[in-house]
Amino acid sequence: MRKHTLIILAVLLAGTLAAQTKLQLNPGGYHGELDYPMSWKRYYAYEEWTKIMRDLQQKYPQLCDIQSIGKSRMGRDQMLLTITAKATGKPETKRAMWVDGAIHGNEVNGITCSLYLAWYLLTRYDYDPFVHGIVDSTTFYVLPGLNVDANDSYVRFPNTENNPREPYRPVDDDGDGLFDEDQSEDVDGDGELSDMYVEDPDGGFKLTPDKRRFVSVEDPREEVKRFRRVGAEGFDNDGDGLINEDDIGGPDPNRNFPYGWTIADGYPYPMSEAETRNVFEFQLGLSNIFASFHYHNTGRLIMFQAPPAVQTQAPAGAGAEYAQRAQQIAQQRLEALRKRDKYIYRAPRQVAPEYQHDLDVQNEIVSAGARILKDFTPTIGGLSGQAHAATYYMFGAYSYLIELWGDPTSEADIDGDGEVSDEEMMKWIDLELMGEGWVMPHKAKHPDLGEVWIGGTSRKHIGRTPPARYIELEALRQTNFVLYAASQFPKIEFGEIKVTPATDDLYWVEVEVKNDKAYPTSSDRAVALRRAVMDKITVGAGGSCEIVAVPKAQTAVDPWNRAAQSEVVAAAGTEFRLKGHETKRFCALVRLKGSEGTVEFAVKSKMGGAAAKKITLKMD
Amino acid sequence: MISCRESKSVGRILMVLAVAAAAGFLGTPLSAASKAPISFDVWHSYTATAKYLKDVAAAYPEITSLIEIGRSTMSRPIYVLVVSNMKTGTTVDAQVPLRNPRAEGVKNVVPMKPYMGKPGHFICGATHGNEFTGTEVCLYTIDKLVSGYGTDKDITALVDAKAFYILPVLNPDGLYNSLEKGISQRANIMLRDDDGDGKVNEDGPDDLNGDGFVTQFRYKDPNGMFVQNDADPRLMIRIRPNEKTDKPRWSVVIEDKDNDGDGKRGEDPEAGIDLNRNFPEGWWNEQGFAGGSGDYPTSSPEARAVAEFMVTTPNIFMAQWFHTSGGFTYRPLGTAPHSRLDPRDVAVLDFVMGKKYLEILGYEVPAAWKNPGTIPALREELRKTSKNKYAIDRGYELPFAWKVSYDEEADRRYSYGMTTDWEFLQFGIWSITTELWNPAKDMLGLTSSDGPGTEGPGDRADQERLLLQFQDKKYGGKAFLDWKPFKHPQLGEGEIGGWKPNYSNNAWPGEALIGVCDKHYRFEMFRAGLLPDVVINSAEAKILYTTNSARDAAAAVSGDVVNIKKGSGKGRYRIIEVTATLENKGPLATHTARGSTLRGNREDVVWLVGDRDKVTYLQGTPHIRLGVMDGAIRIPGTERGGPGGGPGMRGGGGPAAPAPAAPPQMMRRGAAGPMQVREGGARRQVRWLVAVEGDSPLKIVVSSQKGGTHVETLKVK
Repeated sequence: MRKHTLIILAVLLAGTLAAQTKLQLNPGGYHGELDYPMSWKRYYAYEEWTKIMRDLQQKYPQLCDIQSIGKSRMGRDQMLLTITAKATGKPETKRAMWVDGAIHGNEVNGITCSLYLAWYLLTRYDYDPFVHGIVDSTTFYVLPGLNVDANDSYVRFPNTENNPREPYRPVDDDGDGLFDEDQSEDVDGDGELSDMYVEDPDGGFKLTPDKRRFVSVEDPREEVKRFRRVGAEGFDNDGDGLINEDDIGGPDPNRNFPYGWTIADGYPYPMSEAETRNVFEFQLGLSNIFASFHYHNTGRLIMFQAPPAVQTQAPAGAGAEYAQRAQQIAQQRLEALRKRDKYIYRAPRQVAPEYQHDLDVQNEIVSAGARILKDFTPTIGGLSGQAHAATYYMFGAYSYLIELWGDPTSEADIDGDGEVSDEEMMKWIDLELMGEGWVMPHKAKHPDLGEVWIGGTSRKHIGRTPPARYIELEALRQTNFVLYAASQFPKIEFGEIKVTPATDDLYWVEVEVKNDKAYPTSSDRAVALRRAVMDKITVGAGGSCEIVAVPKAQTAVDPWNRAAQSEVVAAAGTEFRLKGHETKRFCALVRLKGSEGTVEFAVKSKMGGAAAKKITLKMD
Repeated sequence: MISCRESKSVGRILMVLAVAAAAGFLGTPLSAASKAPISFDVWHSYTATAKYLKDVAAAYPEITSLIEIGRSTMSRPIYVLVVSNMKTGTTVDAQVPLRNPRAEGVKNVVPMKPYMGKPGHFICGATHGNEFTGTEVCLYTIDKLVSGYGTDKDITALVDAKAFYILPVLNPDGLYNSLEKGISQRANIMLRDDDGDGKVNEDGPDDLNGDGFVTQFRYKDPNGMFVQNDADPRLMIRIRPNEKTDKPRWSVVIEDKDNDGDGKRGEDPEAGIDLNRNFPEGWWNEQGFAGGSGDYPTSSPEARAVAEFMVTTPNIFMAQWFHTSGGFTYRPLGTAPHSRLDPRDVAVLDFVMGKKYLEILGYEVPAAWKNPGTIPALREELRKTSKNKYAIDRGYELPFAWKVSYDEEADRRYSYGMTTDWEFLQFGIWSITTELWNPAKDMLGLTSSDGPGTEGPGDRADQERLLLQFQDKKYGGKAFLDWKPFKHPQLGEGEIGGWKPNYSNNAWPGEALIGVCDKHYRFEMFRAGLLPDVVINSAEAKILYTTNSARDAAAAVSGDVVNIKKGSGKGRYRIIEVTATLENKGPLATHTARGSTLRGNREDVVWLVGDRDKVTYLQGTPHIRLGVMDGAIRIPGTERGGPGGGPGMRGGGGPAAPAPAAPPQMMRRGAAGPMQVREGGARRQVRWLVAVEGDSPLKIVVSSQKGGTHVETLKVK
């Protein structure tokens, strides 16, 4: 065999990065925040946040589209932003991240977090290379407020933290034959819904010495003015002797999705609510959703969808010992990992082999999320008709339900016992909220009860949704997590090239195709659903090169190195799937007839982008 | 317009009805003339049906109301005709005043229609577009009810007391294509590109020879799977896959050509999904993937329309979904086995409804149903002979005409997401699906002496041949198109002909259709008579104390002395004891056993309503929960031993059932406490002690979700 020296020129053909006009290299410098100034110190009502969306879209039309995906029960449009750099491709041609907030009407923290994400992407695109790269390659569908009727009411009207939560389908909660007839009201017109007490010598409550709270009477012999707790603030609208027993709001919207739907939780029927049906119908029309985030309050949880658990029979005898030992070893390994990284999470679930990669990917992503969000706990999300169960199990998209905020435990727990006592809570409100958070007990007139005392509870936006000073902090770190996940969306690239002479004029040309990101180019679930579009590699020759047809199979180019086999690229192209952090090797048998020729590999991946590599073979 | 019936057919009708009279519900031999006459000599297309419904609603505004519950894919309205006395009925929201509403003033609650305060009976046809015999039964029922109202005692009583919701066409697009475009279309229409060529619905069946019907095209084909029937060469018989035959082989395909030049025929028709697989019960398969039709349960506009209608019409308690064919009824369940059902519900379904159904159809009633006391003995017999563990558990096999679609012997289900299971399990509605039309039984005069008899499911080819001969003689050959030569643009020389679409699985117009309609109309009226009926049997208000010069007073306690200061005058003041007896006079309890476990349902309640500023409730609360009231009939086989038994339904027979007086776990949020009235059975006695200022009126409102709402103003003695 004669050896020829070959000069190989490889040119990576990839989409050239669009020029960043205002690239900011100083991390502490200006990144466009004032190009569209926004206050993150408040919550926005429906008219306000939709106006912000329209304004943003008008300011960044080359990055952003806006549309209504349908109307709510009371006729409000659910407004959605589609964000991507149109210059690099249409939104439906790129892999997409879906983000929605406030499916539960009172969990409006999700609106600010989603809106912040949109604002961050749009204002920083020209300045921030990280954002620029993501917005070029990825589409974001952002629906800040999903349950728009309840969202608007929660922000604009006096409400407790718990309502309105559901869409406004009339439901007879108390079984008296009337629908939504006894709702909570602001009895004293102070703009807050609190608790009501009545002076009663036999009552079980008393005022604290500072007159700020009602507490239980511990010692029955104590001589103190006593109160009886009536309940939440409101009138007895239907005269049945009960107050607020049938408030507005019907079926739980996050039990209304089709996957895992049950009649017990998801009453009345799947997709019965216009607000949720509009979302799902819109998603059905898209084939490019790769991952989704759904915002809720509260609890500091990263609930992620995992593949179905495999039911393993409890082994008996020697098998039981083995299983126990295996569990111990797994536990030890986890602890060792945690010594390096205290945020590492491993899901306590066994899955079938064809789903193992999805579980591994989720472990990796939520571990990083726990680190980014600092005090959030990853946990496996349930089915039961939840939105993110549908996204994963029906579309194969990696989905996350984020329970934002949480009781201000780490903030308020100053004695470090892991609990927030009433006193600690009051201290926190006084010191850190500058007196904003409390309804002081005061007298008021009630048409049914006579004279009542109202107060002794926190205001809205303390427990379930964060107070103003925390809005931006929460929004920024959530955006951080979403963008981390987006940055880990699969990216298909070419790696090393290797040319091995076979004989006279035949050469094996091998290329590495790799995905260095955490997510695969298709999820295991998408493959199981037969929704996954396989990646495809094709090869062509030019000049005096020609491809020699050999059967498609794993080929040992170097028979002494079977570990490094490559797959021959078929004439019509070869389909494959790249998992996260995976590299595959492909090869073609090339005949160099003359002195110079080219071989070009091209890969296309629905979710992983595209790449091409041209190799020039030159005879010396 | 439509002509009157001929006397020969009248005689036949009378004979049929005479038989029916012995079996139960009797309508008058000839109904009074209708102001919107209709004849069953023809099938009614979607257009004709819509027109008829509008005519009836216009002609009988006092007892009918036409509502549109939604639209099909092609925007055709889906109509429900409500038949009920529109001047009677009341609901709780009409009786209880509200005040001090939230300042926000969201208007999300719509006042209920008065007829929602009556027990509801739902009848539906044409879920499948080519199964419209049910539509005809719906129209027949409407005709009977509106023309009999005011003249027939029983019909008048039913229309006054119940609310009939009749939905003749759930699948307007499928029916339109079947009767107005000549295609036999079971599915709805979906605007969907089935073959991925970028065009939507561009290649479906075609009427190639322009005769108005999409029938069949047959052509000689050495690899064909059909041969001509020896006895009648018009009939094409399918041979088995590996069968060898000397007869010339044919291929038979639907009349269709390649409309878009892609080499395929009919690859992207208008036909969408099977609506009776698009409902939420049992839609998913065991592996967690889709088993039913559509992208998700209720994804089709038609299924969604009727689902929304069911939710917003909570008084519906009986439901019938008409399909074809077969001549039998499926009662729950199809997607789960017998063990999922409460034995009390099974007893009502089989011993009460099934028994009547078999009697009306003329089938033998199983011994177990006639005498449920013998079931333990029968069960022992069955244990020796049957492989069906569910039949053994029940004590009897289900007969041909009243059965379940779950395959009990193979212990598996074959279908997903059907309506019967959905309504029964998720709403607690007595829901059944009747497959109408069994030519062997319904085609009078079909079984002739020259040919093999066909009782029940017979040999298909024989039955088809009999039908063919029958239509030659009795229908002027109109149901079958003779094979005529035709040159097919893709398939070459051949012949077009065959059964006109829809004759193979629908009752033929005329006598046969009327017979089918009448039987099933009577069965539905029987079931309507089973509906609960919660009334105020007696209500009394007795004054215990009265004064005409009451005054306000304030009491101040200091030590052992109470100082009383008199205040402003209040006028008349009485302490009144109110007692009432409420009773469910209907045969069935106010919920099914299943229904009483569902959070979408509510218990029966009774209100004492008065002026809030003038009435004080000293004993008893403004509304009292009554639990589930039993029905008046004793369900055979469910007595729990002892002489005289107890009222209504008690657990017995099969596995232990919960006691009837246990509070149903139906309340969602709010008070889920114990039942306030500690009684079972069909009656409740309630009592209040109230203080009333002035002559403020008091009224009692009893309201059962399925059993109706009644109000009585109290005369204070």
